[in-house]
Amino acid sequence: MEAKQTNWRNGLVWTWSLAVVAFLYLPSVCLLLASLTDSRYFTFPITKWGLSWWAKTFNSLEIHALFKTSISIALCVTVISVVIALFGALAFARYEWKGRSIYQKIVLLPIFFPQSVLGLALLLWFNALGLDLSWKSAVFAHLVWIVPVVTLVISIQVYSFDPALEEAAYDLGATRWQVFREVTLPVLFPGIFSGMLFAFLLSWGNFPLSLFTTGADTTIPEYLYAKMVAGYTPGVPVLGTVNTFGAAFLLLGGYGLILWWRRSRIGDSKE
Amino acid sequence: MTRSQSTIHGPILELRKLTRTFGALTAVNAIDLDIAEGEFFTIVGPSGSGKTTMLRMLAGMEQATSGDILLRGKRINDVPANRRPTCMVFQSLALFPHRTVGQNIEFPMKIRGVDPAKRKERALQLMRQLRLPENYYGKNVTKCSGGERQRVALARALAYDPEILFFDEPLSAIDYKLRKTLERELKDIHRETGKTFVYITHSLEEAMVMSDRIGVMQAGRLIQVGTPNQIYSTPTNRFVSEFIGDVNVIPVHIGPNGKLISDDFAAEFSVPKIPVGFTGGHLVVRPEFVRFLGSGDASENRLTGRVYNEYALGSRIQYQVRVGEAVFIVEKLRQQAYTGGLDDEVAIGWSGADSILVSD
Repeated sequence: MEAKQTNWRNGLVWTWSLAVVAFLYLPSVCLLLASLTDSRYFTFPITKWGLSWWAKTFNSLEIHALFKTSISIALCVTVISVVIALFGALAFARYEWKGRSIYQKIVLLPIFFPQSVLGLALLLWFNALGLDLSWKSAVFAHLVWIVPVVTLVISIQVYSFDPALEEAAYDLGATRWQVFREVTLPVLFPGIFSGMLFAFLLSWGNFPLSLFTTGADTTIPEYLYAKMVAGYTPGVPVLGTVNTFGAAFLLLGGYGLILWWRRSRIGDSKE
Repeated sequence: MTRSQSTIHGPILELRKLTRTFGALTAVNAIDLDIAEGEFFTIVGPSGSGKTTMLRMLAGMEQATSGDILLRGKRINDVPANRRPTCMVFQSLALFPHRTVGQNIEFPMKIRGVDPAKRKERALQLMRQLRLPENYYGKNVTKCSGGERQRVALARALAYDPEILFFDEPLSAIDYKLRKTLERELKDIHRETGKTFVYITHSLEEAMVMSDRIGVMQAGRLIQVGTPNQIYSTPTNRFVSEFIGDVNVIPVHIGPNGKLISDDFAAEFSVPKIPVGFTGGHLVVRPEFVRFLGSGDASENRLTGRVYNEYALGSRIQYQVRVGEAVFIVEKLRQQAYTGGLDDEVAIGWSGADSILVSD
């Protein structure tokens, strides 16, 4: 009786979990299916399967330029935001100082601004400053929204960091720089690495901020939107699929790398 | 031998009116102290007494507000922690979680630029000295047990080759049995290395086991410095006497006849000598000095009460005796246990020479 009830409950848990996963991931699968057509238009179910749009997409110079723009923005945002966020997180989570709690709130606030409004505001601001809009101005726009997120991600690691570690290293003869290089940086590294992944992926997938601030340059999300509005081809789901699965692989690869690091850095093998 | 040895050498560390204030709070208040070369000196005090702040000033992690710290006669107030020939074992141990046992121990040598082969040789030597198995060299330090981590922390500090080792309550989070073992090991290591150890703890029991001398701190002041025996047998005030453990503390004052009177017990007590100028304070009697008196036994000090309860403490037994409203603690060896029943009327007494008079 008991066992039967447990089985029934387990079944319910499994069904529910699978339903949630399907709900989350089926749209991405549909995107993949939609790209595997050889016809010119969007029809579902697919009548003629083929990879011709994948070939066309990968050979297009226009698409290459999109990738270049998106990657340039994402890489710049990653590097700049991680540097700002690391030191911001140390101030945020480590030291007690007057105004810290206000600083914490102000730093996090941009996360909750509607991004399209933030994008518009930045556009007006850049115009007022007389800046030429290009992918470079988009980097600054992305930073406004991504630095707070990365600060939050890194500060989680900083909160669990025992400040005595730094004092101990200093006490054992290390200079301030050696303390940072030998202790602070490596101990915080998993958090910094997560922050890097967040920065890259949030920038990579960002649409509303890019829309207002890239000027003549176009990122992949902007292109997808433009093509959906006018001029749909199955190249759109191809690019969407590449974008989604590329991000997923980057995330999983990054996670795997962290696990591998942990194992190899600390020599458990010789136990 | 070990006790007198510490007085042969000159002081390695001298504190002169050392003070540290935080806003309106004076955490460490004008402390004067000499610590001898090779001494095991322990500072004992409750939390908030300023002992950690004092230790951090000695290690160079906290600035003194005023006063001087002298190392072998040279003022070191402005020498930063990384240039002082001293090293601290932290309460949290502060072992580097991203490093192996071996890498942790080698850290100070790596910073100093010692050749890797020599580093390893010294690390293995320290591991042998601290009874860490050799195959722990490559072990993840976060996977070591509490006792092993203590040993790694000590090995790392010794690898720095400091002249003075500071300890900030490193044993406070460890269970009783292991703590007792580690206390002895630490004292043995002190003997082997001959270095000066300055240890802080809130446990006077821990201090008693290990120290050559003990300083008791209260509210930023060093209120008594002495050997464990001096602290135990002649505490200078009520705080020190109560810090040691269960004691009977009786408020007393001088009566019109010049004798000690206790209002609580409505009795007169006798002590060998009442200091000049003493008008009132407390009489401290340790439970082990109190006897149960038979009908014919004479005693300088005598009270009658009832045995309310008994508590077994292993080799000894404690009794709570109620004298009127007041409670008295009596301690006996198990072989000399009280044989009567609970609530029986008993007479208890102690010799005046076994009691201590403190003036606060």
